[in-house]
Amino acid sequence: MTKNSDVPLIKIIEAHQPWWRLNLADAYDKREICYVFAWRKISTLYKQKALGIVWGLIEPLALLIIMTAVFGYVMRLPTNGYPYPVYAFAGLMPWLLFSKATTSVSNSLMENMAVISKVYFPRLIIPVSSLAKDIFDSVMSMAVLLSLVVYYGFPLSAKYLLLPFFMGIPIFAALGIGLWVSAPMVRFRDLQHVVAICLQVGMYASPIIYSAKMVPENLLPYYTLNPMSWAIDGVRWIMLDQPLEFTISFYLSMALTLAVFISGLFIFSIFEKLSVDVQ
Amino acid sequence: MSSNSSDITVSVEGLGKKYWLPGHGSGRGGRVGLMGLHFKEYLSFLGKKRDEDYFWALKDMSFEVKRGEVLGILGMNGSGKSTLLKILSGVTMPSTGRATMHGRVGSLLEVGTGFHPDLTGRENVFLSGSLLGMSKAEIKSKFDEIVYFSGIEDFIDVPAKRYSSGMYVRLAYAVASNLDSDVLILDEVLAVGDAQFREKSRESMENASKQGKTILFVSHNISAVSQICTKGIVLSKGKLVHSGSIDEVVHYYKKDIHSIPTDIDSDSLLSPKQDLRGAPRHTNSPKDNQFITSVSLHQSDGQPTAYFKTGEDIRVRIGYNVGNEPYSYFTIFFLDQLGNRVMTVQSDHDLETLKVKGAGVIECVIPSNRLGSGEYILMLDYGRIKSTYVCLDCVPSAITVSISLGDYLNGRSTLEGQGFIAQKTNWIIK
Repeated sequence: MTKNSDVPLIKIIEAHQPWWRLNLADAYDKREICYVFAWRKISTLYKQKALGIVWGLIEPLALLIIMTAVFGYVMRLPTNGYPYPVYAFAGLMPWLLFSKATTSVSNSLMENMAVISKVYFPRLIIPVSSLAKDIFDSVMSMAVLLSLVVYYGFPLSAKYLLLPFFMGIPIFAALGIGLWVSAPMVRFRDLQHVVAICLQVGMYASPIIYSAKMVPENLLPYYTLNPMSWAIDGVRWIMLDQPLEFTISFYLSMALTLAVFISGLFIFSIFEKLSVDVQ
Repeated sequence: MSSNSSDITVSVEGLGKKYWLPGHGSGRGGRVGLMGLHFKEYLSFLGKKRDEDYFWALKDMSFEVKRGEVLGILGMNGSGKSTLLKILSGVTMPSTGRATMHGRVGSLLEVGTGFHPDLTGRENVFLSGSLLGMSKAEIKSKFDEIVYFSGIEDFIDVPAKRYSSGMYVRLAYAVASNLDSDVLILDEVLAVGDAQFREKSRESMENASKQGKTILFVSHNISAVSQICTKGIVLSKGKLVHSGSIDEVVHYYKKDIHSIPTDIDSDSLLSPKQDLRGAPRHTNSPKDNQFITSVSLHQSDGQPTAYFKTGEDIRVRIGYNVGNEPYSYFTIFFLDQLGNRVMTVQSDHDLETLKVKGAGVIECVIPSNRLGSGEYILMLDYGRIKSTYVCLDCVPSAITVSISLGDYLNGRSTLEGQGFIAQKTNWIIK
């Protein structure tokens, strides 16, 4: 496929570009670079490691064992009667995807400065492609979770068709936050620490190690504005058949996620142009 | 070639680039202290922005390049060459003006962009190729050609970290040279690789321009630029100071920027002794300083001459007249006809610092010189060592020395392109 060999192609570089021009078509046009970046990240991740790809499983499993030991057996946190390992892991998996993805997207521009300052391509490709590794890890954890679910005797149902939607929430939320943060982070590396702290807070503000039932009734409408609480309880609804009621907070939190994502696109588009000059 | 406007592939109008750089040029961190500067730099939105806090790396630049032309961009470090290429390749945005380019633009600001050491050569070709703007199908169809050009067929499935640096660079350049773009932007690419590889990349650039590609080429290497380019521009302190045919531009660059006089016939300096009072000074040396007064060349027995054979001793005597300088140095640069520095000898290679006072003569003995046949212009530099070298007086074209190989290499001569240095060797079959 040799394109534009006959059509005259004109590239204009100008001082001032309107802030609202996202050039998404340009990024879509160059999506092959996105695949290449994603593949580079995944294929280099496990090189020079004896256990290679298995580490993608060991990490969440270790976390699960620690959590089960501490919260399930020592502290005996109530789980509405569900076995603690499968209950916690169903919460942990969307959270890990969200937290790792937020970190990768936020750091993506900074980490790729060497490439960015030497060759031009639509920069949006960088944060988007940085998601690939975390999605890849998440798919592997999903296999572990499914075996746990089957082991504990929960049935597989048609609800599983909604799994991509609930797993899509952490991806979009992470991308939205990451887009806001990644370009300013090139200039202010301080943001790395801010993101890390916020993720710590977020972990305890989401029903991962405990059940949302433990949250005081009057706080629940605010608590459930957190899109991650919907992602987590959605996965539990699908896999463990834990009842789920879609309140007004659900729609608000989805709207919030979407708003962060769309505004993130603009913030990114404005600030990435400055990133090469301020690194 | 007609000067039809449709032939113009690159057109730059009023291009400028400023950087936010508080405290530049003030020497000691400006009016605010270090802490203040730190906050001023990072929290710039809090204070008022002053014009002097901006640094213009490029200012009001305009030029045009036609199809098939190879434009050489010359300039000293910090003249704005790299900023210009960064803007044209889209890596950074200009602050003023615009650039219009017709056709596909490929840029190579660095050899091996996107290469990952853990990936194999094959994987890196695809990685780097797509970053430079090739589609996967395109890379696939050119893959054999790329590998052949690089000459590392046997190692293509080995991780790049196991490559020698030469192999790495060859593969990286092979990818870029197969870039099928109408405008090619190259930054100092010929600086890498061995002579054979440089020759290969020079040829590929020539072929590219014959195919009608437009090339913008930055290099410090004057001889490479004058060989490859058809036109040139000279940048100085962010401004375009000269443009024209490459010969004219190289001439200007050598004369006005590097103070290598091209109008002075190097033959006229070919004598055993030169009086340097009133001789032209380098632009870098402080005005009106005339500390270096004369120079003369002598054989090992002290006999003055300008003609030497390779392997003979050269004694360079420099006459000076200075105040009191307890920490001084002298440097002698040997330049070829194109201004390339062939050899640099310096007093602190032997003695840490020199104590000089009043008028006198210093002699530098170069035992059994290894220069190949040719005429070399000596540039003399005198100054003070004060943690760095501070030039006090510099004569760019002091005297010419003529070297002939004689029987140094068993009566044989070196051919053009075999280097500047002659080295005697012993060969034994064991």
